[in-house]
Amino acid sequence: MIDPKRVLRALAEHWTLLEPLCERFDAGTLSLPELRLQLGAALQDASPAEITALLDQWIRLDILVPVAKSPNRFELNAQIHDFLAYLRREHRLGLCLEIEAYLRHLERLAGHIQDAFEIRDGQDLARQLRLLDMRVRDVLKKLDNDEQALVGVAERAKTGDRQIPLRQRYAEVLATWDEYVEPMIQLVAADGAFEQGVRRVEQVLLRLLGEQQRLGQLVDDDLLLRTHARILEMQTSAQLTLRRARELLLPLREEARRHNAVTRGAALALSVIRKRGLDAVPQAAMPLFTRPQSNFLGAASQVEAYVYALARFQPKPALFPKATGNRKSGTARAPQTAREMLDRCEQALPLPDLMAWLLEQEPEGATDELLYWFSRLSRDPRFQRERLERREYLTAGHHVSLSSFALLSPPSVQG
Amino acid sequence: MNIDLKEMTQLAPIFRELFKGYHLSRSEPECYAQLSTMQDQYRALFKALGYELVCDPRGFYYFVPEQVSVGVNKTAQRLALFTFILVESLADQGRDPLAVLDGGTVGRDELPALLEKYRDLFVQAEVTTLEELEEKIIRRLTQLGFAEDSNGIYRFLPPMHRFLDVCLSVQQDRDLAATLHSKDLPLPAPVLLDEQSAEESEEDALARAIAEEQEFDA
Repeated sequence: MIDPKRVLRALAEHWTLLEPLCERFDAGTLSLPELRLQLGAALQDASPAEITALLDQWIRLDILVPVAKSPNRFELNAQIHDFLAYLRREHRLGLCLEIEAYLRHLERLAGHIQDAFEIRDGQDLARQLRLLDMRVRDVLKKLDNDEQALVGVAERAKTGDRQIPLRQRYAEVLATWDEYVEPMIQLVAADGAFEQGVRRVEQVLLRLLGEQQRLGQLVDDDLLLRTHARILEMQTSAQLTLRRARELLLPLREEARRHNAVTRGAALALSVIRKRGLDAVPQAAMPLFTRPQSNFLGAASQVEAYVYALARFQPKPALFPKATGNRKSGTARAPQTAREMLDRCEQALPLPDLMAWLLEQEPEGATDELLYWFSRLSRDPRFQRERLERREYLTAGHHVSLSSFALLSPPSVQG
Repeated sequence: MNIDLKEMTQLAPIFRELFKGYHLSRSEPECYAQLSTMQDQYRALFKALGYELVCDPRGFYYFVPEQVSVGVNKTAQRLALFTFILVESLADQGRDPLAVLDGGTVGRDELPALLEKYRDLFVQAEVTTLEELEEKIIRRLTQLGFAEDSNGIYRFLPPMHRFLDVCLSVQQDRDLAATLHSKDLPLPAPVLLDEQSAEESEEDALARAIAEEQEFDA
């Protein structure tokens, strides 16, 4: 029998060495050389003999135990490991099945309580009630531990390396959901084992209270009331733990599922495109958006005039040609494109005065049209230009005063 | 509903951007903040003017274009293809595609390898060189508010969810097809906007307009 005081004293004395080792033991077992290496790094002044003595002490106190069938490898004694995990606030998620097993036990204890009351065995009744109370505390402790462990699962997923694929990063979340949360949802459901078990125990306790009043006290009413209150606390605690688990893990689980769906969708789309071309992507799925518009170029006065004209628009009366009337002779001139005008201008080089040439070409042309061609042709890089003196030109409708250009072939062409 | 134009201090820039096909998100803080606080007023005003403002809860706004004027155009196909490629490529590299496409970044230096690896697919979108990839895809992404470019680092913005939704929708389509045991998926060909006709030069457009007017007057 190992003296508990010696164990506790060793833990307290060697806490600075044991705490970092806990993390290593969380991940697995350690061989004797690995343990010596770890301790050697922490105790730089210690001799090998001192390290051996330290390890020997831990083994004698059952803090370290050899791994079954591997006597050269060691692990922390499971009880000590749990105690240290509690002190380090490290929580390992338990199994939902454990809670279910506890509940079955609670139901059995309720049966024993009923039996003890029926045979009026006050001592056994008090013992069974204490056992029930302790078991409820176990469940509460476990729920609290699981809740902390769930927080840890969510935190690890959120703070994991962003470069790791989401599927790997959230593997623990998905496993926790399937192995803990999903069974817990079933367990804590209105018709689940948890609720049914709690109700059964509660009924026994309430009946006992009533019967005690009728038949006389076997145990203190306070004990019954306290146990009943703890049962209700356990019920609330289970529901809160489940709600917290859903709040923590559901968004992460949905994210992981969505991520998988997006990756899968992209791969499928690419395979369809490889086989059938870009047009094979379903049209309905494609986002519609306006083609990026080029910016409208126009002075404010132009826009104003345009809007004004629109506002004052009046349709011209439709005039139909008379059957007897003469048709207009000659066909309407074909529209002139920039290319046609540039060609004509190029053939007419050199032009001593561009504006005068334009007026010769288009004597009936509208002033704005002539000015457009004047601007367009004089700016074209294929002509060399020389500015002329300002003078007046007479178009079909206006007097225009401007400095025209003389257009020449560029030097290379001239040469 | 009362709409007070005086309160809509960002109306002009908001309309200008949305009209251009831009997606407004937090990258345009002033416009975004006002749209968020006066969402209903803006939606009502734009509706009265014939524009449908979509307020996506994931944090972005855009106009639904008129069906007649905009089909599923080449740009949408290219951008969707780029998203598919990026998701697959990032997943292959062990990176998290959603983290990158929802607020993360990709560097310009990653594009050559991407183009090389997925050349066969990019060719289908008429993208064969790095310049074309930047011009036809990256520039479009920034023009439409899906990403922002800061010196060769491309940060993806919330509107990218529209393309991630395409991935989800494709996946669901396939699921549906699988349940129907269909060997041949009914994937209709998208109606494409003919970009060539839309890319008429300014001079030609003006000359044609003048000629048309002349004909009309005659």
